[in-house]
Amino acid sequence: MAEPIVVVIFLRGGVDGLSLVAPAGDADYIAARPGEIRVDRKGHDAGRVLGNAAADADFRFHPQARELSELYGAGDLAVVHAAGLTDATRSHFDAEARMERGAPGAGDGGWLGRWLRAVQPDGVLPALAIGAAAPDSLRGAAEVAVAEDLSGLRLAGGHGYSTAIRATMARRLGDNAVIGAPLRRLLTLSGVLEDLIALDKDGNLKPYEPSVDYPDSPLSQSLLTLAQTIKLGLGLRVATVDYGGWDTHVGQAGTFSGLVAGLSGPLLAFWRDLGKHQERVSVVVMSEFGRRLKANDSGGTDHGHGNAIMVLGARIKGGRMLGRWPGLANDALDSGADLAITTDYRQVLSELMSGAMGFADNAALFPGFAPGSSLDLLR
Amino acid sequence: MRLDRRQFHSLALAFLTNGIVTHNARAAALDPAADRAVLALNRLSFGASAAAIEAFNGLGKRGWLDHQLSLRPEDDSALAGRLARATLRIEYEAGNDGKGHDWPARKADIPYRHLNATGPEILALINYDKPMDYEERIRPAREVQAASLIRAVHAEAQLREVMTQFWHNHFNVNALRDETTAANFPAYDRVMRDTALGNFRTLLGQMARSPSMLFYLNNEASRASPANENFARELLELHTLGAENYFNALYDDWKAVPGAVDGEATGYIDQDVYEVARAFTGWSYGDGRWIADGDEAPRTGAFHYIDAWHDPYQKRILGHEFRPNGAPLSDGDRTLDLLARHPGTARFISRKLIRRLVLDAPDDAFVDATADIFLAYADADDQLAQVVRFIVMSHAFDTTPPQKLKRPFEFLASLYRIAGAEVASPSLDFLWHLGRAGWAQHEQRPPNGPSDLTEEWANTNTVKGLVDLAFNAFEDWFGVTGFDPAAATPKTVSTWSYGFAHWVGVFGGDPTEARVMLAEMGEDPDAPLPLDNPEWNGWLMRTALGMSALTPHFLFR
Repeated sequence: MAEPIVVVIFLRGGVDGLSLVAPAGDADYIAARPGEIRVDRKGHDAGRVLGNAAADADFRFHPQARELSELYGAGDLAVVHAAGLTDATRSHFDAEARMERGAPGAGDGGWLGRWLRAVQPDGVLPALAIGAAAPDSLRGAAEVAVAEDLSGLRLAGGHGYSTAIRATMARRLGDNAVIGAPLRRLLTLSGVLEDLIALDKDGNLKPYEPSVDYPDSPLSQSLLTLAQTIKLGLGLRVATVDYGGWDTHVGQAGTFSGLVAGLSGPLLAFWRDLGKHQERVSVVVMSEFGRRLKANDSGGTDHGHGNAIMVLGARIKGGRMLGRWPGLANDALDSGADLAITTDYRQVLSELMSGAMGFADNAALFPGFAPGSSLDLLR
Repeated sequence: MRLDRRQFHSLALAFLTNGIVTHNARAAALDPAADRAVLALNRLSFGASAAAIEAFNGLGKRGWLDHQLSLRPEDDSALAGRLARATLRIEYEAGNDGKGHDWPARKADIPYRHLNATGPEILALINYDKPMDYEERIRPAREVQAASLIRAVHAEAQLREVMTQFWHNHFNVNALRDETTAANFPAYDRVMRDTALGNFRTLLGQMARSPSMLFYLNNEASRASPANENFARELLELHTLGAENYFNALYDDWKAVPGAVDGEATGYIDQDVYEVARAFTGWSYGDGRWIADGDEAPRTGAFHYIDAWHDPYQKRILGHEFRPNGAPLSDGDRTLDLLARHPGTARFISRKLIRRLVLDAPDDAFVDATADIFLAYADADDQLAQVVRFIVMSHAFDTTPPQKLKRPFEFLASLYRIAGAEVASPSLDFLWHLGRAGWAQHEQRPPNGPSDLTEEWANTNTVKGLVDLAFNAFEDWFGVTGFDPAAATPKTVSTWSYGFAHWVGVFGGDPTEARVMLAEMGEDPDAPLPLDNPEWNGWLMRTALGMSALTPHFLFR
């Protein structure tokens, strides 16, 4: 079997985990949130009940998360609630950097970068960051390619002198200390992609034809590229996808619904599109922090703490909520304000990397982290 | 005879093309001062054009800097003329507002009309009783985006433009966040430019009162209680003290922060964020909004303070006690006073300025010395000019080799400047191409702005994007310039090698490389240029230009 793949979808901005997987029956939750930014228990907009919940709080997915609910029901998706970065930061950028580096102090790259350095996977495209820049998690590894789609990995593609341009750039900049490594990767990938993918009459790579339709969402574009990459057999092992806009300080209700729909539908489409490749793919959906239990006075929520992490995969014991639910009573909250954290996010990632990726050296990925008792995440 | 790099190369080219020595070329050697001029201009302007190098060498670094710092935005009549003559397409389908009002389709190239719009003109764009297309409402932001490229390429006050971009990046606003942010964006752009080299406290105050920022970070909706923390948090983390002075992981009680009990907190924690958010409750916008029963904000289209929304009670910020029931705006303004003079702010801003103007990782001594200037001139109208001057006149500025990769916008603007292209009425397609390279001009969504660390840009996406920009920027369909590299190639140039050598020389490379490039292309260097086939010849010279720009010399600053 081809080698396993881990995908990290990062919900930038701090997703409101209390709306994504809501303790809809919790009295403190009901008291703290105005109706429009709370998941209902009945009516046409009621949330979707999760079986095997972590506590007796009538946990429900957001009503727009129909497909997440479906994946959960099928046993492919697990939810770890009250999880996150135990550090007390409520800064987006600080929290993202700490989580993605996965180690105290900076300087030795991100946790996926450390995995790449330790494993040194071969293959022409072992690591792909989908977007305009690589996240901190991939920092420190030379193997990383960054692109919004595969045509973004083709240097001077379609130019009548593309071969010469590549040769000229290799000569001038191939050993450049700053851009030599990404340039060399582009030069390799340009040739490989042109061999694998047919060109249209204008000389562009023909677009990917998925096996299912993806809904209209910015995330769909990223996941289409990812599915294509996996199917092409380019040796992909780790991929990152950013899906932002979750910083809902104001007017959360409408924004959040759209974002959840834009996450849920594409994720299911991607999963189905993978077909037989599902077997070797695991997907983590995470964010830098959750949001405040109480709403602010502008219909939004401010930066919080504990949050839901979702894990999707054929190897995942899904259809279950994992971790301990601390409750939302004032003395159970972090700083009296936010969902407390009972599961370190590194626990989730460690189990995934060891169980699904066969890499058990947690200390190499997360220096200084001592794993706690197992969440029993993997089959 | 001292020759700058460009003169040297044109002489080398003459030698190469004519086989004769027309000047004293054999005695000429590359003058290191010329490379210093190019490097300084790559840092302090949007590209070292021939004219800029000449001006720089004529005045010397100090003289050039004095001149640049003396230029006020209103002095550049040539630029004002360009902006007055520029047009920008507006295009949309026929539509309706869902309330029975239709509007016709529109497709027209029209002048910029909103760069100096008044409050009532702005309000008209966000009046939803007036049916109009979304493109009409956000048009002011579109004009700023288009004008930004004209300014970068053609403004005489290049250093001010570089600093304007710096402050836009620092006080990042996604101009397209919503219609109100977009409609007010020209005023925000003016604040950044007018005070780019002025006083930091003044800039901070104007930023905090700017409707575009108030909407982007939601402060216009923040009222007691609980306040909306979005603006307060970014004010501390991104605009003033910086994450390096966020001590939340260390302290969970304000008294524990070093210096706090003496009113000199060295950094901040979440309790300060909460208090700063309270200090700015009521800093809002005059759009006739409902305040309370029988009370509406005035319709000014400008900053408006709503006292009824303000949390008036006592506050404690960075260890400073704020008494209850202060005068209107005093809580916020005092907060800005504290932040603008804080040594942590001085270091944070100084490090970012050095990072923009010199190198990514300056040593602490350089940062501290710069921060000392920042604090010493805290009351001066030209505080920021003094800080910039200190950085530019430093030893490190002269001795640090080029190591920062030009970011996509800088790369594109400098392509046009070096080629000598006129950017008169850019279409906005260039924004999409910059986006592919990773640059969102005035549309970056997260509030931290684009990175200024080369390691964040040295990736496959940006390298690929810069290559595409180099080969596409002069195409007709790119929509930015009518400049034709073939027409700009000297008439005496008759063969492929001469044509390529010309553009290599223009971009500061070694013209003799042309033959190597042509060998890589599999072309005969001595074949005549296809002058009788203008389409092919034009494309060939655009190719030559693009290939000439993709050198370490041009890519790094």
